[in-house]
Amino acid sequence: MNVVRLVKKAKKGNKNALLKLILVEKDAYYRLAFTYMGNSHDAMDAVEDMIVKLYENIHQLKNEKAFYSWSKTILVNRCKTILRKSSDFQYMEQEQINEQDHHNPHIRTDHQLNITEMLSKVNEHQKEALQLKYFHDFDYQTIAEMTNVSIGTVKSRIFQGLKKLRDYYGGEHGE
Amino acid sequence: MVNNIEKRLAEEKQRFDQITAPENFEARMREALKPAKQKHKPRKLIWNLATAAVLLVFFAGYQYDAFAFYGKKLLGFDDLVTGTLNDLNEKGMGQLVGKKTALSNGTFLIIDGVITDENQLVLYYTLKNSDGIDGEFSPRRLTGFFTNSIAGGGTERVNDLQTEIKGVMSFDSVSPFSKKLTLHYSEQLPNNEIKEGEVTFPYHPDEALQTGIKQSIRKTAEVDKGKITFRSITATPTVTVVEGTINADNFDRVSSALDGIELLADGKPVQMLGGGHSSSLKGRTFDLRFDALPSNLESLEIAVKQFAGYKTLDEKINIATVGAEPIPLGDTKELIIKDVTATSEGVKVTIATDVDVMLEGVSISNTNGVKTPLKTTVNQTKMNKNGTFYKQRTLLFDTSVLPEFITIKGMHYMKTYNQTIPIPL
Repeated sequence: MNVVRLVKKAKKGNKNALLKLILVEKDAYYRLAFTYMGNSHDAMDAVEDMIVKLYENIHQLKNEKAFYSWSKTILVNRCKTILRKSSDFQYMEQEQINEQDHHNPHIRTDHQLNITEMLSKVNEHQKEALQLKYFHDFDYQTIAEMTNVSIGTVKSRIFQGLKKLRDYYGGEHGE
Repeated sequence: MVNNIEKRLAEEKQRFDQITAPENFEARMREALKPAKQKHKPRKLIWNLATAAVLLVFFAGYQYDAFAFYGKKLLGFDDLVTGTLNDLNEKGMGQLVGKKTALSNGTFLIIDGVITDENQLVLYYTLKNSDGIDGEFSPRRLTGFFTNSIAGGGTERVNDLQTEIKGVMSFDSVSPFSKKLTLHYSEQLPNNEIKEGEVTFPYHPDEALQTGIKQSIRKTAEVDKGKITFRSITATPTVTVVEGTINADNFDRVSSALDGIELLADGKPVQMLGGGHSSSLKGRTFDLRFDALPSNLESLEIAVKQFAGYKTLDEKINIATVGAEPIPLGDTKELIIKDVTATSEGVKVTIATDVDVMLEGVSISNTNGVKTPLKTTVNQTKMNKNGTFYKQRTLLFDTSVLPEFITIKGMHYMKTYNQTIPIPL
């Protein structure tokens, strides 16, 4: 698949080209949104918003090769906007309260609880950086772009985050 | 020790990698893209040249009195703004500003002008960069003497060469005591860095457009779970704003209750441009924005066509006998039970209703009369069947026993009220 060619097509208004680009990495987009939103319903809403935004603004992407980091940055920003808005408004449906994705085996394992608990020991920025690096495999440069800070800050967040985790949990395992 | 934490994170990643996108991913993306339009519409170069030529004539001729009237028209925005604003601009109702300031990376911001009245300030601006415009520009706020106006909605258009952006942004109205306004903006640079800046330009409050109608309404429409009180209407040349308060418990149980309210000018609905609501300790206030009113108006009414309603159902449905048959909910709505299964997570009942229906007080029971209330709802999706949308979701109950009955206490939905409130002119 030629990313650059597809991006160029999408810039000319070809919706299928954009769709193709997204579908190749659909699991990655979904996981990324899921990390922020915490449930399938909201994650899909965020990805949906993202694809519309991508289509509207793809002409602004100068470096076609950077499509994936660009689009994922937009997705992360979209997730954060939704989260910010939902804390302003109460629109939860009665039926939907405490919604969880029960199709997701991931959420209910004990291990996951440990990880969630583990990550709750570090601050939000550190948690975000750790998740982007270790769960989504992004490099420092991309994480910096996504979270709108310098590479140095990203490195420091990951370093400090790991250090804090070690302080909490490292000792127990006595290695 | 170092490895231990990283090893656990890596283990977690393996588990994480098992998460896959839902099956309807592609369909949803396709559906979402359908109405999408690119902000940058391919236009023929010839038109850009034509615009440039007109601008040249305009700048060359501006010194002369004869051009003063035309000078007030903000040029180059014709295909960006349509309807009322464009008409006003055509008539030269705007204030020309022409203030130029440098942004980052060689881009220039030109504040072309404003159109103002009691309801809003509309800012017309241009971004130019012969090397191509990178990053994003967002007007945020206007300040001045007694003025602090937040930006609302706006629109932009980029030219083919990406060297010029024409934009329009609406702000809250500004004070008639402000002789100068400061625009606060932010730029998102290509490296995602956000940079804030400001530029000050002169403003002539005496050139603001006159308000047509401004009066209090103080009338109330009764709805199922409370009332809507209309407080005032302010009609200016650019927009008509209706304000009021809502005191209805189930206001947020339907997705956009305010959309069912219309403004009728001489019996015809005026186009709704938007609206919003906010809640505070004093209650929930709202404002609805409609297009400007036609001139020589003879009658004006607010019509509450639809709004959030509630219907007590007290339905006890025998699941076995109903099957896939639609079950009437009240007089106008239907419920379809699509699937009932017992899983390790509990009993799952998949249902579909009209998009605006939200059930309340749902429980299931078996022959022994043991009732289990709804635990949660999952997997809500909107579906399109033969052109009508409906809402499907799975209700989850904390029991392992397959139910015989499903009980529904009531429903929230978009109810047709058709109440009209005349506004004396």
